[in-house]
Amino acid sequence: MRNLLTLLLAGLLLVPAGAMAAPTLEELQKQIQEMSVEIEDMMDIVEKNETHTAKDRIEWYGDMRTKVDTVHYQDIAWNPGVAVDLNQFGADAMSGAFGNPADPTSPIGAFMGQYPNFAAAFGAGQLPAVGGFSMLGFDLGDKPTKDDLNNDLLYTTRLRLGMKAKVWKNVDFAGRLIMYKNWGDSTGTKVFDSWDAFTMDGTNSGNTSGDFLRVERAYFNWKDIGDSNFYLSIGRRPSTYGPPSQFRENEMRGGTPSGHLVHFNFDGITAGYKLSKLTGVEGQTIRFCYGQGFESQYGNGELYNTNDFATQDTHLGGINLDIMDDGTNFLQLTAFGAINVVDGFKGTFAFPSQLMPLFAPTINQDAQNFPNMNFMVRYQPTTVIGDMLLGGLGYVREQENGVNMFGSFGWTQLRPNGEAGLFGGMGSDNLYQVVDINGELTPVPTNKVVDDSTKDGYSVYVGIQVPSPGGKFGIEYNYGSEFWTPFTQAQDDVIGSKLATRGHAGEAYYIFDINPNMFIKVGGIYYDYEYTGSGSPVGTPQKVEDVLNGTAVSLLPVADTAWDGYTSLTIKF
Amino acid sequence: MLKKMLALTLALTFVATTVFAIDGGNPRKGKYLFKKNCKSCHSDGAEGGDVTPLSKTQSQWDRMFKKAKHDPKAWEGLSEKDLLDINQFLFDHASDSDQPETCG
Repeated sequence: MRNLLTLLLAGLLLVPAGAMAAPTLEELQKQIQEMSVEIEDMMDIVEKNETHTAKDRIEWYGDMRTKVDTVHYQDIAWNPGVAVDLNQFGADAMSGAFGNPADPTSPIGAFMGQYPNFAAAFGAGQLPAVGGFSMLGFDLGDKPTKDDLNNDLLYTTRLRLGMKAKVWKNVDFAGRLIMYKNWGDSTGTKVFDSWDAFTMDGTNSGNTSGDFLRVERAYFNWKDIGDSNFYLSIGRRPSTYGPPSQFRENEMRGGTPSGHLVHFNFDGITAGYKLSKLTGVEGQTIRFCYGQGFESQYGNGELYNTNDFATQDTHLGGINLDIMDDGTNFLQLTAFGAINVVDGFKGTFAFPSQLMPLFAPTINQDAQNFPNMNFMVRYQPTTVIGDMLLGGLGYVREQENGVNMFGSFGWTQLRPNGEAGLFGGMGSDNLYQVVDINGELTPVPTNKVVDDSTKDGYSVYVGIQVPSPGGKFGIEYNYGSEFWTPFTQAQDDVIGSKLATRGHAGEAYYIFDINPNMFIKVGGIYYDYEYTGSGSPVGTPQKVEDVLNGTAVSLLPVADTAWDGYTSLTIKF
Repeated sequence: MLKKMLALTLALTFVATTVFAIDGGNPRKGKYLFKKNCKSCHSDGAEGGDVTPLSKTQSQWDRMFKKAKHDPKAWEGLSEKDLLDINQFLFDHASDSDQPETCG
């Protein structure tokens, strides 16, 4: 190599030299010697680079987003309670099991005296079969306090560090580390006032959780196995920021499955097949996916051998079919199911002092001395509540003129098995029955659901992005029905996943592309909630207006509408 | 002088990142033109060997087109605008460009 280079350089020198004044042979030899020395030096440099390249096995890249949100909720109400079997209550009351109603000192007499509206409805035969009992002592129709909540400035920083490495000619590794924090808080937990305030495996990349650098993704791709079109990929999956949610992120497709259905960290396995090599349809790929969302034994204190939790491992499986992906048209079908879904996930939160008198009255007495302290808890589900099915079809068009548009339809089905845990069963509340405990009528849980019928939910998600001066302008809209229950809770919007909304959500934004690696995004999201429990498969969705009117209860606070105005600056490197 | 310039050029080649960036081409049209005009020679087993946008970095593609480091016969029939479009497509999807973050 070096000799060849030397000869070439010598040749280059000889030609012009011959055309002008002829150098002597000695001069040429001297020049060649000097160049040889320089080439030796350069080879040292090349070898150092080569050594560095060989040792630098991970290719790093990333982005950092600084965002300020102004967050406003309208008509927030909190009226925690339980769903009570009023048919059973009526039957027991009529049979005299609760004493003589005419005697104000009897259990039923005292109860009716405490709740006159309830007593009147009972007397008129107007009570439903199942009704909510407030845990705050509200009578039927007593309206909870409504208030607005305004957080004028909420700053967050999201840092993502991507990794790529070549393992072998047909094997590569990919990973992404993420830190997502709100300014001034690195506790890693939030006071539990919504499911977004729950630090858990599936969503900790999309909810602020301190300055921890978490592993959002880590997986390998083993491609062209045995010279076939098959590939195998195992690890923590690229299952967030999937299509068509990438446009609002101002980035390329960020994950494999439909972002309308799945925006959630999963650990699992994908076996894919490049159908395009058979069918000739560009980008056509089918993927079979498997994952585990809950481990029922390991880590749960099983060695004590005293747990009576009725849990099993939660398994997920399904297909993701990119029907076509030619750079202009993208059509995707996602369908999967979750078997043995449990009543929540393992996770951590700060226990709200507001729930303490309701669930832990003894601790609450001591806690009065420490009103500024919350104890951190690790929540663990206790009950298998059923299975879930999810399906979606999405279409994206990216036109030559820079206009991007999409439409996506999603469907979810909750299939309760009739069981319920602390927070309820699948799509249905835990049914309570009223019993006489020491002369006081008290609702006690049956750990069975109010309604074990199969429940379908659906959603539509549409949007358009058009080139505009200095960048692009986009608008998006999505609607979710009463039982719409996708796995999108890892969307990192501070109010919560807009795509999980049981109701309407609209967004408008303007992206200013400063340069190819920097952009500013200004926009806003408006949420209009119709039913409670957005993003949660646990519990009965209640009409928001019923909770506000005092005819329904909800363990967690309920907002009627909310809006989030934001400005962010993102740099990519 | 010549030696120093040569050494400097070679050294810069090793450390160069993005020297300049192509702009103004239509990447979607470029993709069509690339598939229509280039893949006949630049696919697996063909004369030119398999070439995809991932075969080079952004600056390497730009250098190639700027200096026309290619058999001129193969580029006959392609206008300057066509070459700009192809360059833009290859640049936008080069090995150091943003890539879809999917498995497989």
